Amino acid sequence: MKKIVLFGYSKTGREIAKLLNKDEYNLSIIDENPMQVAEANKDGYFARHSTFNDDTILIEMCIDSDVDVLFCTSNEDSLNLFITLSARNLNKNLKILTLIYKKEDEKKMLLAGANRTISPYDVGALKAFRIIDKPKVSKVLNLFSLNSNKLSISEIEIKKDSFLDGVYFSDITILKENNLIFLGIMDRELGDKFIFFSQGINHKIDYGDVVVVLGSKADIEKVKIELDKK
Amino acid sequence: MLARLIISFAYFLDSSKNYCRAKSLAYDILENPKSRIKPYFDTFIIFLVLVTVSILIYDIAHKLTYHFVLFENMAVVIFILEWLGRFWISSSSHNMIIEYHKKSIDNDEKISAYKILKMIFLKKIKYVFSPMSIIDLLAILPTYRPLRVLRVFLIFRLLKIFRYTKSLNTFFKILSDKKFEFNFLLLIGIFAVFMSATIMYVFEGIGNNPNIKSYLDAVYWSIITITTVGYGDITPVTYTGKVITFFLVGGGFLILVLATSVVTNALSEKIDLVRENKLLSQANKLEQLIVVFGFGRMGRTLAGELYQHKKDFIVVDRDEENISKAKELGYLYMKADVSQYEVINNLVFQNDVKKVVVTTDNDALNLSVLLTIKAERKDIEVIIRANNYNNIKKFKIAQADFVIFPYETVAEVAVEYIGNSVKFDAIENILLQKNSITLDEINIQEGNEMIGKSISEILMNDTNITSIAILKNGDDKHFIFNPSIDNYKLEANDTLVVIGDIKNIDKIKKCISRQFA
Repeated sequence: MKKIVLFGYSKTGREIAKLLNKDEYNLSIIDENPMQVAEANKDGYFARHSTFNDDTILIEMCIDSDVDVLFCTSNEDSLNLFITLSARNLNKNLKILTLIYKKEDEKKMLLAGANRTISPYDVGALKAFRIIDKPKVSKVLNLFSLNSNKLSISEIEIKKDSFLDGVYFSDITILKENNLIFLGIMDRELGDKFIFFSQGINHKIDYGDVVVVLGSKADIEKVKIELDKK
Repeated sequence: MLARLIISFAYFLDSSKNYCRAKSLAYDILENPKSRIKPYFDTFIIFLVLVTVSILIYDIAHKLTYHFVLFENMAVVIFILEWLGRFWISSSSHNMIIEYHKKSIDNDEKISAYKILKMIFLKKIKYVFSPMSIIDLLAILPTYRPLRVLRVFLIFRLLKIFRYTKSLNTFFKILSDKKFEFNFLLLIGIFAVFMSATIMYVFEGIGNNPNIKSYLDAVYWSIITITTVGYGDITPVTYTGKVITFFLVGGGFLILVLATSVVTNALSEKIDLVRENKLLSQANKLEQLIVVFGFGRMGRTLAGELYQHKKDFIVVDRDEENISKAKELGYLYMKADVSQYEVINNLVFQNDVKKVVVTTDNDALNLSVLLTIKAERKDIEVIIRANNYNNIKKFKIAQADFVIFPYETVAEVAVEYIGNSVKFDAIENILLQKNSITLDEINIQEGNEMIGKSISEILMNDTNITSIAILKNGDDKHFIFNPSIDNYKLEANDTLVVIGDIKNIDKIKKCISRQFA
């Protein structure tokens, strides 16, 4: 079970908590506002209050040892920055995703140790722009959203003795046979960078790489099982 | 009997298509600020004014040739026609009669021809004596030869030019807001002039000063002094006169300073309004304008995207700070309270707007904008931001075309980060357009040569574009996921959704649109 800590039971925090299945993930919430803590408790989550004068609560939450992902989703950039820095100080390998509200803060957050940043306003604005500019693309994207459940984007890790090990992009047939679209790959050799298939590099797949595919959930599961078999 | 005749004639005019068309044409030419013909007509009239005024000035010392006289007469005929046209469209008499008729039926009153005619006469006479009409009439008068004295009035023909320059009109409108201050200053000025003139006349008019022969001379002296012009042809000779001059010059100076400050004050107060009106009229000329309500962080990013993709848009916000940012970035903007019906009416209904995005962080405000628009125009597409999960449903009930709840979308992307983060990068790249790989749509219109061909024929082999889905008639209910690129034959009104490098997609789109050229 993956251990996840959510800092800030904000609107975004709430939505993240809703999406995380209680059987799959062990979620703990921290907030600096007692009202939010009470609300998180009411919604059935384990939540703690902290004023962040010291790192005790972070250590109590095991940030320094066995937490997998930390989401910094409070409403204030400065608080997110502070928690990001404190958490990174305690644990070098922790995955930290931080919300930013101002574009200028992105660099600061990355410097403080966040792995990735994301801005709700940018995401919302770009969604609105896509509806204006490319209405049909946004319709297709809606099919991928978690609510519609029709299509999904999924990642498949290539194991050591998989028959895809050592195969070139253009030679993969199993995806096509199962009605999946090959979107791209994260290659260990190329420094964990995501490469889109459309970038036109015909690359060799090695074990340890992660392939990202697009398709219906059933088809994806089928392919995963097939790959595990061989 | 006469009344019956008038009323039935009014109904006849109302139903006559030709009459209505002629009237609306006249309105387009003369008054409608949005019409395309008006600017040409205005320029033409200004040209006529300048030429005829030059002719009239030349006429004073020279004898005119036959051509000039003909031209002058033609111009005057045009001026007269213009005035008659304005007189005609200034009010709609037949509508007034019909209204009157309806009312009298409702109230069971007797119809009287006298009342009808009086009503129309009052309305029209009001137009005749309106300042603009007077200017027009004065421009026509100087041509009438027996009234050579009226040649002075040719200067009024120049006034006619003002009628066509909008900025001057706004200037006068701004000044008319300060009527009270100007009246006050004028009153003080008149008082000072007549008081000093009287004193001067009493002390120097009785022979002490040879230049002051009458009361008029005293008034003349007073005005020349108070305006600090001071020709010096009449100067005070007595001590009393000199003392009066001290006060008069001092007071005159004060009045001038005050008047100047009133004008500058009025201008600086209204300059934003003037600028905004200008922007609004600029927006008026654009086609397919997109209105963005709220210039917060979401509005700003959206506006940036729209700007980059060369779409025409205007941002509306009531916050001074946000608006000044829009100003800096060079966008079209309007500072207004969007909860006002007037604002939405001026901006959305009066312009060619098909799409509206509402991005403020206040759901109540967003809802009010949405409802105002949808109540009047269902065809305008409204994309709205929800700030609270519970409000998404309400917006849908209020017929919003798209509801964006940014926090949910972000959460969906964020959750992907728990896994290998590869998926996160893939989705983030697509959603936020972080590199050149993009999702795009290729529309196959009716009559396209590509109909009946396979997808692989469109997506050239070396472009590495992947087709993800085909939407039938642009509808997401009938879609084909991962269509076979060799076997699927394209049909009219299909939309191909593809992922690929932005440059390659553009290449293909160009290829397809070239056939139509």
